[in-house]
Amino acid sequence: MFFQHYCWTAVSDPCHKEKELSLPCKLIVKAVLPVFRCANVLGRNVEKCSISTSPSDHHITFQLLCKHGVVKTYNLTFQECDPLQAVFAKHMCPNILKVHSRLLADVMIHFPTSQEEITLSVTPVKVCFKSYTEEDTDFSRTMVTEIHLSPEEFDYFQVGVDSEVTFCLKELRGLLAFSEATGVPVSIHFDRCGKPIAFSIEDVLLEASLILATLCEAQKEADSQERCCPQQWGSSETHPDKPSGDEPNSTDISKHPQRDGNAPTNPVAKQEVKSIPRVTGRDVTGRAGTATAEAAGEATEAPYQKFHSLFFGAVSYKEKDATGHTFQSLATASDTEEDLGPLQSSPVL
Amino acid sequence: MRFRAKIVDLACLNNFSRVINTISKLTKTCTLRLTVCKLYFILSDKVANGGASMWCELCQGNFFDEFQMEGVAAEHNEIYLELVPENLSRALKTAHSAKAVKIKLTNKHCPCLRVAVELPSLSSSSRIVTHDIPVGVIPRRIWNDFREPTMPDFDVSIYLPVLKIMKSVVERMKNLSNFIVIEANLSGEMNLKIETDLVSVTTHFKDLGNPPWASEDGCQSSAQGRNLESMAEARIDIKKLQQLLAGQQVNPTKALCNIVSKRIVHFILLHEDVSLQYFIPALA
Repeated sequence: MFFQHYCWTAVSDPCHKEKELSLPCKLIVKAVLPVFRCANVLGRNVEKCSISTSPSDHHITFQLLCKHGVVKTYNLTFQECDPLQAVFAKHMCPNILKVHSRLLADVMIHFPTSQEEITLSVTPVKVCFKSYTEEDTDFSRTMVTEIHLSPEEFDYFQVGVDSEVTFCLKELRGLLAFSEATGVPVSIHFDRCGKPIAFSIEDVLLEASLILATLCEAQKEADSQERCCPQQWGSSETHPDKPSGDEPNSTDISKHPQRDGNAPTNPVAKQEVKSIPRVTGRDVTGRAGTATAEAAGEATEAPYQKFHSLFFGAVSYKEKDATGHTFQSLATASDTEEDLGPLQSSPVL
Repeated sequence: MRFRAKIVDLACLNNFSRVINTISKLTKTCTLRLTVCKLYFILSDKVANGGASMWCELCQGNFFDEFQMEGVAAEHNEIYLELVPENLSRALKTAHSAKAVKIKLTNKHCPCLRVAVELPSLSSSSRIVTHDIPVGVIPRRIWNDFREPTMPDFDVSIYLPVLKIMKSVVERMKNLSNFIVIEANLSGEMNLKIETDLVSVTTHFKDLGNPPWASEDGCQSSAQGRNLESMAEARIDIKKLQQLLAGQQVNPTKALCNIVSKRIVHFILLHEDVSLQYFIPALA
């Protein structure tokens, strides 16, 4: 649908015979954007665009062959990475809402751009978005905004369990902007607090999903020993070769400083998220199906984590070549080497 | 203490939003004084503001369709609140197409102004957006700090030039200097001057006109008998002037300033239903 010619050579790995994956790599989006900056200009001047990779020297080349014999070549370096894939059983979520992105955008506009997190609370008869403030903020200084909607405004409204989930608004705004551009409605799948929430858009050309961790109202002091621990992100279905550079595999962004175990405050833990990789036409193997991280009893240094992933799956028409036309989804985790510290907002993808 | 008000008319709502926007550009926090007939936005001349002060008066009937107020006590039927106008401005910003806006004073965890905006929606029931804006209740014993400032005994009173032009001049001057000198005389001439080590720039305005102030008891005010050509001047913080001009979204019906030479400049901006006075002290 997009490409006139698409040729892909599998990088075969003896360890992972069941899956032939494309080259897992990551690029800085800001570096790619200038290549395709002005769509109008491109449409007028560019006759052909060729994209090629040379894995040996970690280069991807974008070549724009323009009118009058002008050729623009962009060589960008990529980094190999182990794409993390969230395993998340969307179809097992009791709460599903479908709505046009315009409505969500109209709702989010009422929150200040500096608002980090919001809470979505649903019952079968009402929906409410509310700004979330940390427990230790000074309430006498913060403005709190709340929006009530009626279920009738949604194209599809299913609430199996009353729930209140708190998630990062900033990340969502990105997806909303994207979906407004495509004009595709947004589906929201979620469960109780602590379980992930997924925002996805899907149409003939593409699917995109944004899976966010939600805040978990942790148990009281008695259970301070037991915390929701992060599961180490196994790169279960990806190439284990060369974890690139010094990036840690696990996605650790400690959101809250560790609290004193004896204090009766509620430690806030965020759960890991896994999702079924969006692979067309293949069976889901491996870790599919597990929807939550186990609350392991061990205490670790970094019990509070936040993870979010944005991955795209392009749905292409079946082609003659049997192999290699499936687009593997790349879940890029927001990895960071920052230490435990107060509120860190993760880099926006 | 109770307060509740409602705006249903969109034009009134936009008007009110504009006033709030102007106030929010002038100061970070201010005092809101509510009486039965009027609302006042007050900034008293503390050192923290750089000595600038503001008095903005609105007739509630011109904006609100419903307005009910009960002050702290029967004989002091007023409410003084400290608030951040930017919050209110933000709450009203997205209310362009609102069916109604209700404002209420509440005290759940702490005193708040609850702004509830009812927006049209595709379904039968409207969308309701509520913003809880935290406010501080100002106790009666310090109400005296917020009295209306008296009109200074000015040397020159002059109408301002077209605010848009004045604003663009001041904005450019702001890049060059932190202070600006305003001088004017009773012949309708005004100059805006800046002077630095490298450059001095003056913009001249002519034929502005001088407002006819009738002296109350017939005695000569300091403006009478004054040489018509003689300039009264004051050197003020340019940022304050720029904020005042930048905050004006609609052309006022009347805009003038009173200059007390080397002491203070008193700006008066009058619209149909709101009056704004802004005092900027002169600096050495």
